[in-house]
Amino acid sequence: MVFHFLRRLILFTLFYSFVAAQTQDQVNAASKFLQKDGVQGHTNNWAVLVCSSRYWFNYRHMANTLGMYRTVKRLGIPDSNIIVMLADDVSCNARNKFPATVYSNNRRSIDLYGENIEVDYRGYEVTVENFLRLLTGRVDPSLPRSKRLLTDEKSNIFVYMTGHGGDEFLKFQDNEEISAFDIADAFEQMWQKKRYHEIFFMIDTCQANTMYSKFYSPNILATGSSKLGESSYSHDHDSDVGVAVIDRFTHLVLSHLEGINKTSQATMQQLFDAYNFDHLRSTAGVRTDLFQRDPSKVLLTDFFGGVAQAEVVQSDDVDDARDFARLASSAKPSVVADSQSGKQQKVSTTWMEMGSDRLGELGRNSYGLSRVWASVGLIFGTYAVTRFLF
Amino acid sequence: MATFGSLVVLRLLLAFSPIPNYLYDNQQLTSPLTSYTRLKEGVFLLQNGFDPYAGQLFRHSPIQLALFSTVMPPNKYVLHAFWTLLDAATAWNLANIWKKRSGTTDWRRETIIQASYLLNPYLLFTSLALSTSTLDNALCVYAISLAASGKRAPALFALALLTQSSLYSVLLLPPIVLLLCTGPASRLKTPIAPSIRISDVGRTVFTFVTYMLVLMGISTLVAGNLGWMKETWGATLTVPDLTPNVGLWWYFFTEMFDHFRSFFLMVFTALVTIAMIPLTIKFQHDPLYATYLLVGNISLFKSYPTMADPGLFLSMISIFPELWPYLRHPLPTVMWHMYAATLLPLFNNLWLGHGTGNSNFFYAATLVFGVANGAAFLDSTWAGLIAPYGKPKQGYTLLQI
Repeated sequence: MVFHFLRRLILFTLFYSFVAAQTQDQVNAASKFLQKDGVQGHTNNWAVLVCSSRYWFNYRHMANTLGMYRTVKRLGIPDSNIIVMLADDVSCNARNKFPATVYSNNRRSIDLYGENIEVDYRGYEVTVENFLRLLTGRVDPSLPRSKRLLTDEKSNIFVYMTGHGGDEFLKFQDNEEISAFDIADAFEQMWQKKRYHEIFFMIDTCQANTMYSKFYSPNILATGSSKLGESSYSHDHDSDVGVAVIDRFTHLVLSHLEGINKTSQATMQQLFDAYNFDHLRSTAGVRTDLFQRDPSKVLLTDFFGGVAQAEVVQSDDVDDARDFARLASSAKPSVVADSQSGKQQKVSTTWMEMGSDRLGELGRNSYGLSRVWASVGLIFGTYAVTRFLF
Repeated sequence: MATFGSLVVLRLLLAFSPIPNYLYDNQQLTSPLTSYTRLKEGVFLLQNGFDPYAGQLFRHSPIQLALFSTVMPPNKYVLHAFWTLLDAATAWNLANIWKKRSGTTDWRRETIIQASYLLNPYLLFTSLALSTSTLDNALCVYAISLAASGKRAPALFALALLTQSSLYSVLLLPPIVLLLCTGPASRLKTPIAPSIRISDVGRTVFTFVTYMLVLMGISTLVAGNLGWMKETWGATLTVPDLTPNVGLWWYFFTEMFDHFRSFFLMVFTALVTIAMIPLTIKFQHDPLYATYLLVGNISLFKSYPTMADPGLFLSMISIFPELWPYLRHPLPTVMWHMYAATLLPLFNNLWLGHGTGNSNFFYAATLVFGVANGAAFLDSTWAGLIAPYGKPKQGYTLLQI
């Protein structure tokens, strides 16, 4: 009896360890894939786009945010992963000569309001408290899902803020301020709670670079439109709308991004190199000391888009999990190598035929069909027996 | 004979016209267990090495799968010819049943019986839709015909073969056993309990069970494992697929809570199975009639009926001309059927084609169809019961003591 049980126990342990080894192989393969140099370490992208100023004459801040929203959506981040905070509604403002529209240039070529935007925090909901609660995740249980930042430790977050700011502060709604320390502490809380993999912080206000000077958490890349003592300027003024419709820094960034699509291998360093004082009339800054990777190796789509990288494995070699693990470790990453060399690579979808040969075996060799023929013969045989013998 | 031939030719002509193209997926004429498109899918899967029963799409029996992937390719034209042949055989067998029952031949009567089968629109359109319920009907009538001819083993084999695809037909076993042990002659007017030897009954049942086991073994050989039972018979019993059909089950099972599902399954299965024993006992003096009534009961309450099932029942009444005077309301029954036959495709199209109606419309039409079938069934039962006593005279009532 005991011997029988022991035998069972040993068999079970062996089986369990075998299965565990298999899955461990798979886990190892997956981690290796995610940790390779030049391959993204993130699995999902989020964007938090904040316009903190209200009133009609701050039309351009709304247009900044909506322009960024449109670009980020075009590059692949879904609405469910974008939090848009607009402190005022200029499209339906009584002073808007073109109701239900928001334009970002004086030729009025693209309507940013359109028919399909999703604004998560609007009007008076855009407050410092709501913003900080959004970032840290300390929200009321009744808060709807679309208003939450549901990031995890593999999320890349693009945080964009625009409005009126100053030395280490940003004005919200004309009655309160958020300070650089507040945002720095919020990011540190996020780091402790593993709520981000990397953050790209962009801010377009006066004296914007001061806002990122107080960050102290790892994996944050930051850029701002003007340094201490400088103002940021608007770009286009529309005579019919009556106000300025876009800011210079955001206009530069958006123009740069207009030239790329989801498959682009353009890097952050290229964006930073495009900053020029003559165009911006202010000194745009970049902070990279907290960021692990080299900006010249960081793709724009790592933050602005929702693009996933895939490694295409040859189908012949894949038979089971062990083969996959072996292959991944001795990787011939066709997509990744090209991205490192900077070539434009078209991302192609390949249907991976998982062990298709094994499934076709039954049909291709005659065993299956011979069974069917045998059974048909049996049916007719039995019928003949019943008919003619009994 | 000439009429029979011309009717068969008419069927062939209709089969090769463009009409069937609109009928293959019709929900009145086909059900998830009998649909031609599903049969094609299952054969394709088998021929490409996949298990056809893994996807819960294919619910035909493995015997049919075997037949249609080897001997008979599921090519439209071949199958149309085969279906017409089946219909012709069924019509001939129906006439044969009458011949055995009455002991004479009368070509006029036989032509009427064959025409009632071949011209029945329920059966005609189902056959054009290549629904395998035509195959089931053919096997059913063949089994009854063989039983009426006294050929024990072939009749039981045909019944076993029928049960493979239509599980509820196993309920036809008791009356067919009695039919084999007594005989098809009409004894409705003299309801005396027949003398039956238990050894005869035992032998017959044992033969049937053997054939069932053999066929189940063959099915397992075809399918490769025992999973086919859950997908075919299990589907009949537990109704997993709620595609609308002309039956009474599907609407209930779409709208009731899961908590009550087993209760409803029990109630509906009871409705189908409960008439078997009373009908067999009450009509033990004429088991052929009991078989006919049971066919009607099953077609009324089965889980995935098509129009062919009540169609067979209606056509079979032509075998019992001695009972026609005793039917109380034949005209309203016909009118109900015409009403249901008009409403069913109309409401189905309104709901699923136009989108202006909803499922309640179609459900109401199936209820009307159920009333029509029920009226036919009850009327036939009444006629069978009243036959010994003749039509009640004015002012007199019939009492059962």
